[in-house]
Amino acid sequence: MIALVNNFIQLLIILLLAPMVGGLIKKIKALTQKRQGAPVLQMYYDLYKLIQKESVVSETSSWIFKATPYIVFATAVVGALLVPITTLVPSARFTGDIILLFYLLALGRFFMCLSALDTGSTFGGMGSSREAMISSLIEPSILVSVFTIGLIAGSTSIYEMMGAMSSLGNPLFHPVFILTFLAMMIIILAETSRIPFDDPATHLELTMVHEAMLLEYSGRHLALMEYGAAVKQLILITLVVNLFLPMDQFIALTGAGGFILSVALYFVRVVFIAVLIAVAEVSTVKFRFFSIPNLAALSFILSFLGFLQYFVLGR
Amino acid sequence: MGLTLWLVPLIAVLLSILIKETKLLHIANVACSFSLVLFAGFTTKIVMKSGVLQYDILGKLYYLDALSVIILDIVVVIGFLVSIYSIGYLNEELRHGEVNAKRIQLFYTLMYSFLFTMILALTVNSIGVIWIAIEATTLASTFLVGFHNDKHAIEAAWKYVIICSVGIAIALVGIIFLHLSSVDVIDHAHALQWNILYDHARELNSPVLRLSFLFIIIGFGTKAGLVPMHTWLPDAHSQAPSPISALLSGVLLNSALYAVIRVLSIVNKNLGDSQFTGKIMIGFGLLSIATAAIFILTQKDYKRLLAYSSIEHMGIITLAIGLFTPLSIFAGLFHMINHSFTKAMLFLASGNILQKYETRKISSIKGLLKVLPISGFAFLLGLFAISGTPPFSIFASELNVFLSVFEDGRIVLGSLFILLLALVFVGIAVTLFRIFFGEDDSEERKPGETNPAGAAVLVLFLIIISVTGLFMPDAMKELITSAQRIIGG
Amino acid sequence: MDSYLDILSVLILLSSIILVSHKRIKSYIKTFRIQSALIALTAGIMGWNSLIEEGSLDILVVCIIIILLKVILIPRLLHKTYGSIEYKVEKDFFLNIPLLIIICCGLVVFVYFSVSNISGLNEDHINLQVVNSFSVILIGLFFMISRKWALGQMIGFLVIENGIFVTAMFSTHGVPFIVDIGIFIDMITAILIMGVMVMQINEKFESININKLRNLKG
Repeated sequence: MIALVNNFIQLLIILLLAPMVGGLIKKIKALTQKRQGAPVLQMYYDLYKLIQKESVVSETSSWIFKATPYIVFATAVVGALLVPITTLVPSARFTGDIILLFYLLALGRFFMCLSALDTGSTFGGMGSSREAMISSLIEPSILVSVFTIGLIAGSTSIYEMMGAMSSLGNPLFHPVFILTFLAMMIIILAETSRIPFDDPATHLELTMVHEAMLLEYSGRHLALMEYGAAVKQLILITLVVNLFLPMDQFIALTGAGGFILSVALYFVRVVFIAVLIAVAEVSTVKFRFFSIPNLAALSFILSFLGFLQYFVLGR
Repeated sequence: MGLTLWLVPLIAVLLSILIKETKLLHIANVACSFSLVLFAGFTTKIVMKSGVLQYDILGKLYYLDALSVIILDIVVVIGFLVSIYSIGYLNEELRHGEVNAKRIQLFYTLMYSFLFTMILALTVNSIGVIWIAIEATTLASTFLVGFHNDKHAIEAAWKYVIICSVGIAIALVGIIFLHLSSVDVIDHAHALQWNILYDHARELNSPVLRLSFLFIIIGFGTKAGLVPMHTWLPDAHSQAPSPISALLSGVLLNSALYAVIRVLSIVNKNLGDSQFTGKIMIGFGLLSIATAAIFILTQKDYKRLLAYSSIEHMGIITLAIGLFTPLSIFAGLFHMINHSFTKAMLFLASGNILQKYETRKISSIKGLLKVLPISGFAFLLGLFAISGTPPFSIFASELNVFLSVFEDGRIVLGSLFILLLALVFVGIAVTLFRIFFGEDDSEERKPGETNPAGAAVLVLFLIIISVTGLFMPDAMKELITSAQRIIGG
Repeated sequence: MDSYLDILSVLILLSSIILVSHKRIKSYIKTFRIQSALIALTAGIMGWNSLIEEGSLDILVVCIIIILLKVILIPRLLHKTYGSIEYKVEKDFFLNIPLLIIICCGLVVFVYFSVSNISGLNEDHINLQVVNSFSVILIGLFFMISRKWALGQMIGFLVIENGIFVTAMFSTHGVPFIVDIGIFIDMITAILIMGVMVMQINEKFESININKLRNLKG
């Protein structure tokens, strides 16, 4: 029972933090380009504004169009329930919950692709097909990375994986995990539709992937879709942060004090990964669409090599 | 005394860079190669008397024993005769306008660097330095192969440098594994030194040693022209200027096989018998002879024909040494000597033919004996010699290889060997008939030798290969026997 | 120290796979530079260790030579060589890049299975390092085969030499000093010669596509 309550508290923290991470990344990108950029809390203001507006729905669309924002948001929230922020307090968990997590996110994406086709606009169709291709290319990489970590941790439950990684001390200096970490960074860039897979700030519909699927939405539907995407981004960052940069083994306090310290350290690490993502975005350009399989193959090879190094080490 | 062998080619390189006048350059060239022959002769005498010549510089690096001295003598003698031939050859090229004085300087500089690196490979103890020297031979001879600077020559030079460099890199992997196998037994100061490795051979790590032999035969086999790593050889040997082809075919291939033989002796001593290495060497040897036989049957370019014949003879030597009986090793070393002289003579003769007829096609060569009496005669007899006709020396050594194969009880191997040699004979005979019958119908060609010194060299070669075929001087026999004992133990 | 060497061997393998995934000549040279820097770091760590334990400066000198040659000098030579070439991005491939990357991965698996069957290479940490560095040799060879431009073959050769050097470092802690120096001299001469040849090919054949070098047959 306590575990479930802990899950909900952590869910609330994720829901609160999610819009800020996106704003943080945008701010860092702006600063590197010597602009002021929007304030970090801009996305909260945007969501508040959008909820109050009316939502315009096309007459030629079906129930999928109206249902998708709720599905996307719901899958993101349920996924956030599965991902613990800290391993100091027990969380409710079950075997295989990391597989459930990724397929919940895939469910949300599936409905997004369908809804973009639903309105009959060509830009939506293009965005759907591209999104489907990118996600199918990146999926083997996700699974192999997850299974590598699961193999070493001895379980497919996220909480236990995080516990095993934090007991390793410094995973990044391990030959297996440095490769898996690099693979996961590329996966984050793919799943959250950032450069080099897709430019989140573009206004050219012909080049859009994720944004194309949001084109027809307005009002509270748009708010839910954006919020869902932000929560998904934070879930993935939380995974990376807790699996590859664990600091829970250094916290000596217990109980509420330990929990607060852990959350504070979590926030610091999320900012660090956000800076990494921003740096990665700023230093390359959006790839030509047919060059994306190269990047996806690279990510797959990174995770596969990490898996292989585990065997070569004989452990 | 032995160090002069290193100094003289370096002095020759220096002189070639400094002297700009062609006539003076030719004289300096012949003087240096003649002094090399003299010094090599003295060194041979010392080695024959005391068995091993070793100097203490750079950690006992300089090392000569009977095996290296045989190959060294081949290098030096052929180098001398080629340098005499080059005078006339280069003068003729100068007359045709193909080269100028600066190119002749480049030619001599590169040729002597090439000779220096080959001599270095033969006179050192450390297998690592042998590797360095053999890689350096590739580098020194690349621009020589591409000397004519036309499309074909550049293609040949590019293939040469890439394939040989990759092959040599693979040989380096083998040498690292050789080092790995000895890391527990030999301390770092004496690592990779051949005589110490040979003394401790039984204590080395066998599986790693086997792996290293595999890499070394593939790596150095690339340089020696064993099939299937031979693809650079026909192009490089046919496009290079003829004196360089003679050096490449007659001398360089031997040096590459020398490195293989050194490692082979260590591996065989470690494993106790020659089963493992024998299978690999005989396999490569047979494959080379077979491939060369097939390609010789369908050749249209006479220099490429000679190149494929080099591949065939390298195959024979590999087979003989892989068999590892005393008679076969003796025959293999003897064959090395004979092949070098015969092939060098053939390439020099073909150089004269190329300069006269200005074509590489066999079908365009007609009435050779009238146009170039001495070169044509040498070429004719040389083709007979290279296909194994008595009374020339190659027949003698091939006969010894047969005998050793059949003595060892390998009937199938022996029959296959005879069959392939017969195929080669047919291929070369067909070429012979095409060249030596018919009238020369071109008017601009004036019959007569344009390279008198070269013609004299050809006659000298002819005499050497006929005499060695009939009668082996005692000194040579003693030298080859001691070399065989070094290899076989 | 061993764990640092493990990580470095992984990163060196990674850099060779990234090399296969590039198309621009400038990227080839940049990736080669990064790989050489990583190798210099490896040599530096091992050299420092050998200095403390045995007091020998050999490996540290080798590390400095690597930095001078492979990180500074050779990339500059390569830049000069390709400066005269018209097109800077390779468009024509035998197989597409994802397939090339997967084949590289297959090569690593192959090396793993071969090396694990040889005793003498079979202790725990050495196994990982030797597998990784040996794979670099095979990936360099594969890179040479997979590119149609002559410059790709030069860089493949350099990667093979890099791989051989790291294999020597990891398995036997280096070859005798004079052999090392000789290898470096040979390598830089080879690159100089290959560079001149590439420029000549460019002049005579108007492109550096080695498929045009097919005149000599038979």
